[in-house]
Amino acid sequence: MGKRFISNRQRLVWIGQTFLVLAVIWLTLNGLDGWWLGLLAASVGAVTGGLLASGRPYPWRPHRLAGFAVFFLFESFKGGMDVAWRALKPKMPIAPEFRHYPLDLPEGQPRTLMVSVISLLPGTLSADLSDDGQELVVHTLMPEAMDSVNRLDRRIRHLFSLELPESGEE
Amino acid sequence: MSASEWVAVALLIAGCFFYLAGTIGLLRFGDVHSRLHALTKADNLGLMLVCAALAMLSANWRTAALLVLVWLLGLLAATVSAHLIARHARRGGD
Repeated sequence: MGKRFISNRQRLVWIGQTFLVLAVIWLTLNGLDGWWLGLLAASVGAVTGGLLASGRPYPWRPHRLAGFAVFFLFESFKGGMDVAWRALKPKMPIAPEFRHYPLDLPEGQPRTLMVSVISLLPGTLSADLSDDGQELVVHTLMPEAMDSVNRLDRRIRHLFSLELPESGEE
Repeated sequence: MSASEWVAVALLIAGCFFYLAGTIGLLRFGDVHSRLHALTKADNLGLMLVCAALAMLSANWRTAALLVLVWLLGLLAATVSAHLIARHARRGGD
């Protein structure tokens, strides 16, 4: 695997996407007052981000992002309820352990999204990522928590139009 | 009080409940990693409910968008810091 080189065209796409996100954040925070300063800040941020990016940007579809957002809202809601219930119950039903999860999502947005979102799903926390990025250590509060990691993996593949691994693991 | 205000108050109370549950988890759970579960997940839900309540009370699209942004940035900060603390703890830092 090792380093994946990113072409100039991909870098431009990355810069464009980052610029849009930063500009929307600026608009929400400040409205149109001092728009030129926002334009400058968003440009500088986007170019810096684009130059530092290591993975290539992956194409994603807006309607799939909406589906992913619904999945995320629902799962993170369940995650909050679940841990609140475990914390308040007198017996405190938790069985913490570390699990290893082979991560074969590509470097860049898919992998970053995976590592970030895991911590908000029911019972899972991303505890460590091996240096080559191929293995994720997940801390789980209960044995069945790994199911939601598999579901998240499939959702992210769908969002970025990546193929599923050949063997459907069960 | 109007119906939407009652709903907003209910959401605020529910949000505070999850913050409380997260804090109780932080105190009761035995190790760093389990405590992080309580903090990230319960507080995320608490923040979501409080932001939703405030968006309803403001009845203003710009403020509502701002609150969604607050929630998303809060999520990002929570998940990144949880990962960093968890990694540090696992690699044997103190």
